[in-house]
Amino acid sequence: MNSQLMPAPPAHSRSGGPEVRTYPAIPAGPHNFASQHRRRRLRSDALTVTAWSSVAASLALWLADGGARGIDSAASAFTAMGIVAGLAGMDLVLLMLLLAARIPLIDRTIGHDRALEFHGKLGKPSLYLLLAHGLLIAVGYGMAEGLDPVSESVALWVQVPDMWLAFISMALFLAVVITSLVAVRRRFPYEFWYGVHLLTYAAVATSIPHQFSVGAVFAEGTWQRWYWMAICVATGTALLFFRVLQPVLATYRHRLTVSRIQTVAPGVVNIEMSGRQLDRLTGTGGRFFVWRFLAPGLWWHPHPFSLSAEPLAHGLQGEGGLRITVRNLGRGSAQLARLRPGTKVAVEGPYGLFGTAARTRDKVVMIGAGIGITPLRALLESTPFSPGNATVLLRGHSEQELYLSVEILEICRNRGARLFHLTGPRVDGDPHTWLPEEAVRRGHTLAAYAPDISESDVYVCGPAGWARNVVADARTAGVRAEQIHHERFDW
Amino acid sequence: MTVRGAVSAALASAGILLAGWQAGAQVAEVQAPVAAMSVGATGGAAAGDGTSGTGSTDSGSSESSTAAGGTYTGASVQTRFGSVQVQITVKAGAITDVKALHLTDDDRKSVQISNRAAPLLRSEALAAQSANVQTISGATVTSDAYLTSLQAAIDAAHL
Ligand SMILES: Cc1cc2nc3c(=O)[nH]c(=O)nc-3n(C[C@H](O)[C@H](O)[C@H](O)COP(=O)(O)OP(=O)(O)OC[C@H]3O[C@@H](n4cnc5c(N)ncnc54)[C@H](O)[C@@H]3O)c2cc1C
Repeated sequence: MNSQLMPAPPAHSRSGGPEVRTYPAIPAGPHNFASQHRRRRLRSDALTVTAWSSVAASLALWLADGGARGIDSAASAFTAMGIVAGLAGMDLVLLMLLLAARIPLIDRTIGHDRALEFHGKLGKPSLYLLLAHGLLIAVGYGMAEGLDPVSESVALWVQVPDMWLAFISMALFLAVVITSLVAVRRRFPYEFWYGVHLLTYAAVATSIPHQFSVGAVFAEGTWQRWYWMAICVATGTALLFFRVLQPVLATYRHRLTVSRIQTVAPGVVNIEMSGRQLDRLTGTGGRFFVWRFLAPGLWWHPHPFSLSAEPLAHGLQGEGGLRITVRNLGRGSAQLARLRPGTKVAVEGPYGLFGTAARTRDKVVMIGAGIGITPLRALLESTPFSPGNATVLLRGHSEQELYLSVEILEICRNRGARLFHLTGPRVDGDPHTWLPEEAVRRGHTLAAYAPDISESDVYVCGPAGWARNVVADARTAGVRAEQIHHERFDW
Repeated sequence: MTVRGAVSAALASAGILLAGWQAGAQVAEVQAPVAAMSVGATGGAAAGDGTSGTGSTDSGSSESSTAAGGTYTGASVQTRFGSVQVQITVKAGAITDVKALHLTDDDRKSVQISNRAAPLLRSEALAAQSANVQTISGATVTSDAYLTSLQAAIDAAHL
């Protein structure tokens, strides 16, 4: 193991090594991270309230229509339950779409990964509600007309306008949720799963006509109809705007082209890009973008990669460069190493909370392993801290695996951060450690490297199992959940 | 989710549901007279045969007068939007009036549809002197039930 402790020199000492860039001036003065965190928590609570209220509102629509008073028989009770399930189910579907719409407010509040986590959690409940909706309505209508549920369904399909679309919608929802279940997802390539997921839009679109033409709650002339239209239109607009229009605008605005490919270590390359108006991206170091390299065979494949350096804008129009560091993990990323300079790049983002916007405290601890080191490199460069208030722990099998460590050393010197290199094999047969064997043998713990960790923000990025152990250790050391910022590369 | 978030979400949701419930109570009060009116209108004309057609299938019809003329009540036909029952007035072998004793009124949309369809069906039936008329588009369920009940009343009058 090789662990070194950097003394904390003055923040702005110049060292002038060849790879060192000029660091953007970080605004001095006190940063009120506590109030930033309070505001973020307030937004998060507001989002929670909005989400729950929307579900309550979908039921209130029905109640306000006199729904509960109309129940006077078993048939009407089934029908009523069916209607309620349909309303709640559709509301959850809209929430899922909004969570996946990459809305900046949501991203800046809970982060892209948590938004997708909630999105995933709603999948099964909404499917069950929609299935219940179909079954209960068939039973309820059938009982009122003296038909069995199957004949009733056939009658609905054949006779009632727009109902055949609703049946198709149900089949599509089933297909989407089943293919999204992790077990099944593993058996198909990511692209297949992604394609099926796009069917969601078809499923939602085919479900909408019958809601307005058959759904009695939304009869013409009711305010319920306007409310429902408004939330459907708002969701669709958000999706179009943030997932289609914004990326196109960002791509056009920044005009990114690949300027240099540089090997960092075996299988790891820096991809440098130049573009315009990059001043609008400063402060995004450590956050990620979804990139598409517009070269034959590559353009249709979007990849999330974090910035590994703070965007640098030196020209008057914000001309400058930015950089990602990519490890060759699969088919797509292997091709990236052979990109030609001049290749145009389409970009979506920035996304995620792995940046200064997530800070809650004045002190900061950054812990990275492998390719997960690279966003920390960018964050270290740009996030505010006073000399002595930052600690960086880099973990890798060998020194060579501590990607960008030369640059990181340089920044730590300049800004007064403590740096440890943690190299060497892991402990055999112990699934709970994240430190090298030697450190464990000597009794080093997380708190020994970062004594004030319990009052610091802790940024963690690395392989999933390793990161879990780091987070667990941090919690043991007294770090609260709100202080832990964890970027996952594997969703 | 923080405790504050959870509590506020619960309170907000409860408030919204309560508001919906309150609004629903008012709707029920508005709707009730609509139903009562159609029944009430027949109360005078039906001459007391209030028990006719209470069954859920068209088990038949009942006469409230002699075969020459009078009022005849059709079967009450159940639909998923509520029951439909009509009554005809016959003078000298001709249908002179069709009254809806009850129309689909399960929800506001059905009331809407019924209010629109009933006058049309009535005038068509009077013109055709039979239940053999076009259903009203967009009100198929109501029309079918209306015409079924009408046919039962015509059968009962032996027209
Ligand atoms: C927020 C975030 C930031 C990241 N930052 C970096 C970074 O800075 N540097 C870096 O080297 N890597 C980063 N990654 C990981 C990188 O995006 C993936 O390694 C890369 O997309 C794999 O593509 P591939 O074509 O090489 O792999 P493939 O051969 O296509 O697949 C490899 C595996 O990854 C899965 N996969 C492929 N594409 C995606 C996708 N878009 N989303 C989810 N799973 C997918 C496949 O199902 C397969 O299991 C980041 C990932 C995320 C989520």
